[in-house]
Amino acid sequence: MTASLHERLRSALGNDAVKTTPEDLAVYSFDAYTDGRLPSAVVIPGDTRAVSVAVKIAREFNEPVIARGAGTGLCGGAVPIVGGVVISFARMHRLLELDVANRRARIQPGLVNLHLSQQAASSGLFYAPDPASQRSSTIGGNIATNAGGPHCLSYGTTVNHVLALEIVDERGEVFTTDVDDAGYDLTAALVGSEGTLGIVTSAWVKLLRTPEAVRVWLAAFPDIESASEAVSGIIGAGIVPTALEMMDAVIVKVVEEAFHAGYPTDAAAVLLIENAGFEDEMQGCESAIRRIVQAHGALSWHAARTPAERDALWAGRKGAAGATGRIAPNYYTQDVCVPRSTLPIALRAVESAAAENDIIVGNVFHAGDGNLHPLLMYDKRDARQVGAVLATGDAILRAAIDLGGTISGEHGVGYEKREAMTRVYTTEDLAVMARVRDVFDPQRSLNPEKIFPSGTRCAELGPVR
Amino acid sequence: MMPEAIERIAPDSIEKLCELLARCDAAGTSVVVAGGETLRGMGVPPSGNELVLQTTALRGIVSYRPADLTISVQAGTTLKSLATRMKRDGQFVPFDAPKPAHATVGGTLAAGWLGPRRHRYGRPRDLLIGSTIALADGTLAHAGGIVVKNVAGYDMSRLYVGSFGTLGVLVVANLKTLPLPPVVRGFVAPLPEGTRTRAIAHLRSLAIEPSVAAWIEGFGNLEGDDGLEGRLFILFEGSETLLERATRDLRSALGRAGVPETSIVDERARDIFDRFIDAYVSTVAERSITYRIPTAPDRVEAGALEARDLVRRFALDADVIADIMNGDIIVRASRRDTRDLALKFQVLDDALHAAQPRARVIAGDHPIRPALRVWGTEPNAIERMRALKARFDPHATLNPGRFVGGI
Repeated sequence: MTASLHERLRSALGNDAVKTTPEDLAVYSFDAYTDGRLPSAVVIPGDTRAVSVAVKIAREFNEPVIARGAGTGLCGGAVPIVGGVVISFARMHRLLELDVANRRARIQPGLVNLHLSQQAASSGLFYAPDPASQRSSTIGGNIATNAGGPHCLSYGTTVNHVLALEIVDERGEVFTTDVDDAGYDLTAALVGSEGTLGIVTSAWVKLLRTPEAVRVWLAAFPDIESASEAVSGIIGAGIVPTALEMMDAVIVKVVEEAFHAGYPTDAAAVLLIENAGFEDEMQGCESAIRRIVQAHGALSWHAARTPAERDALWAGRKGAAGATGRIAPNYYTQDVCVPRSTLPIALRAVESAAAENDIIVGNVFHAGDGNLHPLLMYDKRDARQVGAVLATGDAILRAAIDLGGTISGEHGVGYEKREAMTRVYTTEDLAVMARVRDVFDPQRSLNPEKIFPSGTRCAELGPVR
Repeated sequence: MMPEAIERIAPDSIEKLCELLARCDAAGTSVVVAGGETLRGMGVPPSGNELVLQTTALRGIVSYRPADLTISVQAGTTLKSLATRMKRDGQFVPFDAPKPAHATVGGTLAAGWLGPRRHRYGRPRDLLIGSTIALADGTLAHAGGIVVKNVAGYDMSRLYVGSFGTLGVLVVANLKTLPLPPVVRGFVAPLPEGTRTRAIAHLRSLAIEPSVAAWIEGFGNLEGDDGLEGRLFILFEGSETLLERATRDLRSALGRAGVPETSIVDERARDIFDRFIDAYVSTVAERSITYRIPTAPDRVEAGALEARDLVRRFALDADVIADIMNGDIIVRASRRDTRDLALKFQVLDDALHAAQPRARVIAGDHPIRPALRVWGTEPNAIERMRALKARFDPHATLNPGRFVGGI
């Protein structure tokens, strides 16, 4: 059966586009969250037609199809749970059209997030969604998860920036959606559907003008409560900066050791604040924010004076997760979002959950959005620690739900959180989502065992990575 | 025009609304969902045999947390009462919909209304972070929540925006709010002969982008007089410092384009903006039809002129708004003289769609409306849309036949 699947794929798509050896398949069996099963085959198509052919052949063989970007997902979204054919977009990575006059770009899904901004820079444009993985994650993957990032505070998440999609459906047929189309906003429904409603083969995305002026400030606080109250103070005063990120003492320490970014290591928490806009209003903005953070007990205030200093402060933030390797060999990132004014309570809950389970936690997150990312540090060779991480992660989920929050702010549900869906949605709520699935993927052949909870586990997965 | 309804009910609780829907769905009674009926010029008019379900008695704020920049409201709340409440806390939600004293949150969202400031503040669907919807069989379903970032499952709330009440009845909307800009400044500039193209190009390249920049021709009840090439309406929002520079830059840009006079309409700017939005759906008694044509910003001028000339070719009067920032064209065709008017509207509809397949009707009470392509040419994914409708509303209870492609 598998042999004839391989043969059909090869004869239709060419040897180069099909991977079948166990070593090759293994590369596509995991993502940044967990290990899944080996897929039956991996297809690396070069164009939409090839995607369509691959889906049709997989269907003939009753094989599910799992679309895959860079595999940087943090919740098992790209992992094959029951086997199937993985479609990798590694060869569909081009910027197809840059429409400078209308500030938009047509891209292939395998285009790396950061590469789009780099290619648009000489035209004075950039692509706003900037997940921490932006150096490697693809825009196709970002579309699948409706990815966020620090700058989503003022620019919005991926869905705000997708204008039109070309999709290969579960039968291998191509259809298109456009936000200017009459009828249902299928573009909005497809973004964030984690590859369960169709496979994006190209997209028009919105670009923004490179801001004229950018300022980055760093405020240090004696404790995490005053820092989170300062966040509420800034937002509550009607100031929405471009980014408003928080890091706690654990993170500040490792980041400073790793990057020498210029973070004050004696602080219990720092806020990294960025505002982009016009030269004329920067001073007013700075003094307004500075007044608020000082009223909330900030210990120090530092303004990046040069672009290099600015980049250094950001490098610390973006490299924070990686830097935790100095504390423990592995980390697990939880992703929950709570109403912003509940941040102090949420952070206390994170702290006590970690303490109860004897786990070191570092907080580095999108404070302005109320989007927490506790990094739970552990050694995956130690079964006790793995169990403790899972228990801590679960306690954090529970705390977020109790505060009126959600189980994922920007990473997605994937395989990891599908059982948790019942904790925020009723059976009726989930049935409504299933109706959409019924229309787009009645046989559940697109990225099965994701998003929707199931009573039975279909596969034994490896430990969290 | 909304035909005489067999019955009109405005339930004052979500439970009653659900019960009513369940009864209608079981009995095979079609239901028209109505809010403030301010956008009743959109879509295929009801047949008249439906029960009209009004959401206007479901009003009020469910919860408002200004410090979170979020608000939860019942669907029948009017835009004006919402704006009035939020203004006390220096916030707003940029719906930019006509007749806010009557327009409801639910109706504005369901109709998928798109206003001129969306290039800056986002589409209304991007402000809807959670929702409660009553399905055709009366079941209640929730989506999203009250947090500003949420990727837990499919984004059902966004799908309901613009679904024209055909998937369910929106009963509660959770919205992101925004801080009100401290200063608003408006400009009206009549365009002398030979200045339009350059003036529009210069507007598009301003460093500080206006919140609204529109080219207008006609719509005589709006502020300002047309020059030989129409007039511009521009609105800036922001801090005093920023607007000082924006004003300087704008004057210099218009000056270079040969547009000598611009008038600051500071304190009246908000009022003019409201009337500008109202103009989108303003009608000439029962003698007009208004289309919205979505296009790319760099094609909006050419598209607007083409649409205007088409209207005139059929001996109809044309009023035009070209939204320079978003690429929307609003064109109203009308005629005092009603002879052959229905026929003229029909040939115009054909010609307009041949040139602009996405042209859709947003206003006009002329009886010919049901015979026009009110939603424009069917979109590529129409079969999937029909399948969605069938899955959500198998008995076609909600707004039957009023949406795209007979949905």
